[in-house]
Amino acid sequence: MAGPLAPTWTPETTSDERSELDRPWVTIVWNDPVNLMTYVTFVLQELFGYDEATATALMLQVHHDGRAIVSSGPRERMEHDTSRLHAYGLWASYQRDS
Amino acid sequence: MKPFAAARSGELVARLEPAEAGILGLLLDQLEQLLTADTTDVGDDPVLGRLFPDGHRSDPELAADYRELTESSLRDAKADDLALVRASLPAEGGEVRLDADQAAAWLRTSNDLRLALGTRLDITEDTEPPEEVAGEEDQQLAVYYWLTAVQGSLVDALVAARSGRR
Repeated sequence: MAGPLAPTWTPETTSDERSELDRPWVTIVWNDPVNLMTYVTFVLQELFGYDEATATALMLQVHHDGRAIVSSGPRERMEHDTSRLHAYGLWASYQRDS
Repeated sequence: MKPFAAARSGELVARLEPAEAGILGLLLDQLEQLLTADTTDVGDDPVLGRLFPDGHRSDPELAADYRELTESSLRDAKADDLALVRASLPAEGGEVRLDADQAAAWLRTSNDLRLALGTRLDITEDTEPPEEVAGEEDQQLAVYYWLTAVQGSLVDALVAARSGRR
């Protein structure tokens, strides 16, 4: 929304800064030996609204690869997603996407 | 135990033997003690560490911020769930009948109980149920697998109820 007072010049961002800013944060679910596969799938559907096929694929990725990215976005939202997963006992953490 | 299944009313219904209800009551007491334990101990106790995990794995400052931001509400939510479970558990055994909120509380609390027991017993993906219960650890392992059956039937009933709604 550029109004009449909108600046016509924006300071240049170096490519380093830009990639640092553009790189989103992610929420990761880690494999653990206790949580049931059916439970993990159920929770991913419940919290993120994934359909059964997507939630099952993510659960299997956690199971086989040891981890899966279940959401991405701004840091505050990833903190929030992590806390919602912790409320269900899933082993989750957030970090900058690597 | 008669596992959880959806009743015509939409409620989820199971039946517990008196001994099972007694064990569940004891486990709830133990979990409550853990939840009311001093928060500064989280780093030293693997069970508390599993119930209240680090939010960030490589940056201690972010992990501390996260803990500051979320730990007390997570603790309160677990205590609320536990109270709902206790209120819907027949102390002498018998029918357990859960509405949607109670079922969600049972789901999360039974998971916390499994996480606590599983961490204490060092469960791995290769751990098997005990063939015969010879000692204290076998007994705890048997309880762990019993909880797994309770929670598993609850998940299956919730999934069935959800696909029925679609």
